Amino acid sequence: MVLVKRFFSAFLAASILFTGSIQTVQAAMISSEQVAEQAFTGSADQDRARIITALSREDVQVALVERGIDPVQARERVASLTDEEASAMASQIENAPAGGIIGAIVLVFLVLLLTDILGFTKIFPFTRSVR
Amino acid sequence: MFRKGLMLAFFLLLNACAATGVRETVQNKELPRQHELTETPFFPQDLYHCGPAALATALNAVDIRVTPNQLVPEVYIPARQGSLQIEMLAAARRHGALSVKVAPKLDAVLKEVAAGNVVVVMQNLGLSWAPSWHYAVVVGYHLDQEKIWLRSGTFERFEMTLSTFQRTWARSEHWAFVALKPGSLPAGDNPDAVAKAIVAFEKNSNKQDAYLSYDAAVKRWSNHLVLLMGLGNSAYALENYKQATSAFRDATIAHPDSAAAHNNLANMLLMQGDASAAKLAAENALQLAGADPGMRVQILKTIEEINAYKLKNPQ
Repeated sequence: MVLVKRFFSAFLAASILFTGSIQTVQAAMISSEQVAEQAFTGSADQDRARIITALSREDVQVALVERGIDPVQARERVASLTDEEASAMASQIENAPAGGIIGAIVLVFLVLLLTDILGFTKIFPFTRSVR
Repeated sequence: MFRKGLMLAFFLLLNACAATGVRETVQNKELPRQHELTETPFFPQDLYHCGPAALATALNAVDIRVTPNQLVPEVYIPARQGSLQIEMLAAARRHGALSVKVAPKLDAVLKEVAAGNVVVVMQNLGLSWAPSWHYAVVVGYHLDQEKIWLRSGTFERFEMTLSTFQRTWARSEHWAFVALKPGSLPAGDNPDAVAKAIVAFEKNSNKQDAYLSYDAAVKRWSNHLVLLMGLGNSAYALENYKQATSAFRDATIAHPDSAAAHNNLANMLLMQGDASAAKLAAENALQLAGADPGMRVQILKTIEEINAYKLKNPQ
């Protein structure tokens, strides 16, 4: 299993390195994405970053499915991410804030009511902050 | 009596720490004193679905017709009972909008609103240790009243004081973005953010929309390398070789040390049959590429093509 995974990684890494940029319209043209990458990040780690990204796309897709998303949807969602976003997602999917609303409110109802009134929070629509 | 004292103490405390950034914003002379985008549509959210609801609001505001329910499978993560910021940006792009991050400052958000762009924000309506992450859409403000209005949750016109908004928004590290029609630009003056946004956008957009976005951006920021290269490449993809050539040429003038600009210009010159000028540009590119292996491979390919052309068409 480890061997398979390793082989797959190596294969993926190699194919990415040798295809260069996927976006290029013609082999010898340099894509805007490549230019942006160089302009916005140090050029030193780009190839390494690309390998990590390709692997993290797999990870993100698996992670999305694990979290209750239909596999087909998961694939489309991953496909719509940029490389940078995909690698950020891979590390953030568990811990990054997910805007939903409203977790452990009951527990801290009173505290939040007070802080609402003071204008530090805004949980309850009926509160009017003093400021 | 004790209660009064306590309240007084709180007021003093509050005065000492009014939300940072609010005073500067209220005194900002460049902002119209008030503005509200009253036409902004409203989609009340279902449980946990503030992400899809906010996104639908922003997209419909620029005439991209989509409902929150259509967006749920694109941004919602059941196990997290919410939506991630990265996917909010990506989903807007999937529907043909250019999503551009707004600078993390209150006046930057209000500036967008004043220019007619609604702003999707992430707030933590709770506290850092009892978070309540929420997406809402800023649609209006009034500096003299220190008020801000949002399409938020189940409330069509949710009113907050600027201070409270600032505090709840600060907890997401002031995360905000605008979703724009291709060809329009945010009000904020941040060419890097726009360049990043268009590069991400063109990955899945049609060629015409990518071109429109670059074209608009270059008209405003005419010396930006990524934007110029993007304009050239997207014009090329539409087979508009004349404009592609001039964009790449502009890029080589504004950024004479860009190997990519010289390389792409060489390709365009070759396409137009000017092999010797192409060769010159490509050799420039090779020299500028230095030790960058990926770049060298591509430039050598350009030179190879030029040489092949010269063999076939001896002068």
